[in-house]
Amino acid sequence: MSIASLTSRVGAASAAPTGGDPSAKPRRPGALHKKDRVIGLLAVLPALLLVVTFSAYPIAFAFFISFTRTNGLTFEWRWFENYIAMATDPIVQQVFLNNLKFLIAIPLVIFIAVVVSILLFERVRGWKFFRVIFFLPNVLSVAVIGIMFRNAFGYYGGVNQALGLFGIEPVEFFTDGNLAIAIIILALVWSGFGYMSLLLFAGLTAINPAVFEAAAIDGAGWWKRLWYITLPNIRRVLGFVFIINVIYTFTGLFGFVFVMTAGGPGYDTTTIDYLVYLRAFSSSNLGSGAALAVMLFLFIGILTLLQNKVFKLQEED
Amino acid sequence: MAEDTIISKRLTSGRANGPVFIVLALVAISIVYPLYFVIITSARPNVDYLRDPFGLPGEWTFDNYLRLLESYGVGQAFLNSLYVAVVTIALVLILATLAGYALAKYPVPGAKYATAAFVSLMLIPGAVLIIPTYVMLARLGLVGNYWGLILVYVSSALPFAVFFLSLSFRGIPVEVIEAARIDGAGFFRTLWSIVMPMGSSGIATLAVLQFLGVWNELLWALILIPEQSMKLLTPTLASIGTRFLTDQPLVSAGLFITASVPLLLLIFASKYVMQGLQVGVSR
Repeated sequence: MSIASLTSRVGAASAAPTGGDPSAKPRRPGALHKKDRVIGLLAVLPALLLVVTFSAYPIAFAFFISFTRTNGLTFEWRWFENYIAMATDPIVQQVFLNNLKFLIAIPLVIFIAVVVSILLFERVRGWKFFRVIFFLPNVLSVAVIGIMFRNAFGYYGGVNQALGLFGIEPVEFFTDGNLAIAIIILALVWSGFGYMSLLLFAGLTAINPAVFEAAAIDGAGWWKRLWYITLPNIRRVLGFVFIINVIYTFTGLFGFVFVMTAGGPGYDTTTIDYLVYLRAFSSSNLGSGAALAVMLFLFIGILTLLQNKVFKLQEED
Repeated sequence: MAEDTIISKRLTSGRANGPVFIVLALVAISIVYPLYFVIITSARPNVDYLRDPFGLPGEWTFDNYLRLLESYGVGQAFLNSLYVAVVTIALVLILATLAGYALAKYPVPGAKYATAAFVSLMLIPGAVLIIPTYVMLARLGLVGNYWGLILVYVSSALPFAVFFLSLSFRGIPVEVIEAARIDGAGFFRTLWSIVMPMGSSGIATLAVLQFLGVWNELLWALILIPEQSMKLLTPTLASIGTRFLTDQPLVSAGLFITASVPLLLLIFASKYVMQGLQVGVSR
């Protein structure tokens, strides 16, 4: 029994790829194949249906809503009214400008991430431990990180207490728009550089060590190797990191803004994704929020395509 | 030649070791110190904090935690978050394991399109979806109901989950599965006794990542559960953070309660957390 099943197992395994043994095979694989297709389809279907219902369909629905005037119950088709209103809306312009200000975080994050990844790559004692520490902010909620920074820079917070030790009056960090943006950027950098440095570190480990050795033998110093070998070799990872950061800056700030400034003072720290939220839950016309969301979606789509192109380049090289 | 490389390696690392270690340690302190500050602050009365915020507490206390648990519903919110996270993870793992196995090892018709759909829906920002999803769920009567929230979490987690598991299941040798099938094991049998044990590390990684994602999520938890007694932990923390600006120790206790579960996961499952990171890279 066991021997029979063993031989049939071996036979099947070796025969399957070539299609082999004509005596029993030709009919059965066909039947099996058909059955497998049905089973495979049934296994994929629940996940696919859920994703289509709760991700793909809402996107289409967002397009529809953006062409209407609606409170969520009744829909009035208004063509491009919301888009035209958006184009001339000073708040939208200001908010877009705010998002551009937040982009300052990106060179900061990337600079620190590059430095940290290169230092990690030296693999000094305890580098694995450092790696986990640097990753630490990534397991925390933006609500936790945001409130932590809001607290630290609040009137009674650690920073003002520290300034007080030097006899400096407490600073109201969150009453000035630009100062508030600076604090949020600080939170972004603090929480973001670790993950980016680990991405870059993975890029560094992919460089052939022989290249470094050859350069070292040729007498290239540490800085020369950094500039001519290390950085050029991770430029694609750098591009990838840059684009995911841009996407994050336009879509991922809701949590920080919500807990740190609620978009204020005025609209000074409101970002596009936060404005979508505001329009969704405090305005009588959901259409205007949806139009904003659609623009954001198209913008992110373009960036993602760009990123895929970068990624393709990487595969070709 | 070989000797040269060894020497050069030793020289470079020897030269850079000290300064590199110091810089890395400083960066590490900049991450750990704020968290240390939060934990210490959470364990002292407000008066004590205001007297000397940077010193060790003159008086250690659990009052802040007790107040949060007794008067501000943090205990309930903690349990609510745990419930939603566990149900979400269970559903994601079941659905993604089925779909991932099929896509990895079965001739699924239109597999190309299914995969493309999953991949392209992987990075849809929440801001794009909040209005249509809210309207849709409101019509279904699922706003203010955990199932609405769970469905949103599951469906937004699935694209990555399916992609991730089908990748890790692809590494299982076909011969092993074929052998079992010749012996008469069907889809579920091979899934249960071969694919899941062999892919357990990938499944564990996914579970940890998704748990962190759901536990830390704020936007959906905020808008889909307006009912006070049903609130999850992150929105509860956010409202405490806004209400008690003058009571840093109380807010700090809330921060630590919310952060404690992810920190425990990082400490005890850092292997899986870091593994998930590697996949993020290859993507």
